[in-house]
Amino acid sequence: MGPLTEPVLLILMSLADQPRHGYALIKDIEVLSGHRVRLSTGTLYGALRRLLDDGWIQRFEQDDTSRDKQAYRLTGEGRRQLEVEIERLKQLARAGSARLRMKEA
Amino acid sequence: MSRIFRALLHLYPQGYRNLLGAEMQAVFDRGARESRDLGPVAYVHFLLTELVGLVSGAVRARLAGPPITAEPVAGGLPEEVLEAQNRVAMNLNRLLYAISHHQFVEARRYSDEERTARLELRRVMEKYGLA
Repeated sequence: MGPLTEPVLLILMSLADQPRHGYALIKDIEVLSGHRVRLSTGTLYGALRRLLDDGWIQRFEQDDTSRDKQAYRLTGEGRRQLEVEIERLKQLARAGSARLRMKEA
Repeated sequence: MSRIFRALLHLYPQGYRNLLGAEMQAVFDRGARESRDLGPVAYVHFLLTELVGLVSGAVRARLAGPPITAEPVAGGLPEEVLEAQNRVAMNLNRLLYAISHHQFVEARRYSDEERTARLELRRVMEKYGLA
């Protein structure tokens, strides 16, 4: 599997601690990205649909009183894919840092 | 703008719209209210970003085809469908460019052409049983 796109990675990260509905995902991703990324509705739902098709997230109906009934949560496979991607990014950051240290030395 | 967004949702395949259309509309409406409160610059930026995201999302949704749970189309999408999709995307891009540059006469013309292209796309999608 290749690297995840940034919207997909951010959605998986946002769902890692709790389920969220569409608008809450957009707001949380703004915070997660340090206000660098605000996903448009089309981009968000394009990524959500792919993740649903791949079985990395599930859509379910919240039984609370909020106006946003449909919410999304990570599946076991989605969590595993997120862990793999974070490990890949860590490895990449370590390699990059090592190269920078070599140049400084 | 809510009505325009609802109309543009028709660019998406019907199955996609049935599943996610109402939710997308609700998310757009909340974002529009919030950005309008932040002032005209934030609102225009929001609208342009949303329009571009929606159009490119619709093109990707059409190219991706039905969800994997559905029967795949043998040999991918027919050439005629791909050409019609490209014409819709091209006209929408021109329409968005004209609106963002305040070229409203051209925008009206591109809007008419976009409508014709969308009808043609629907016709060829129905012809191949994809609508």
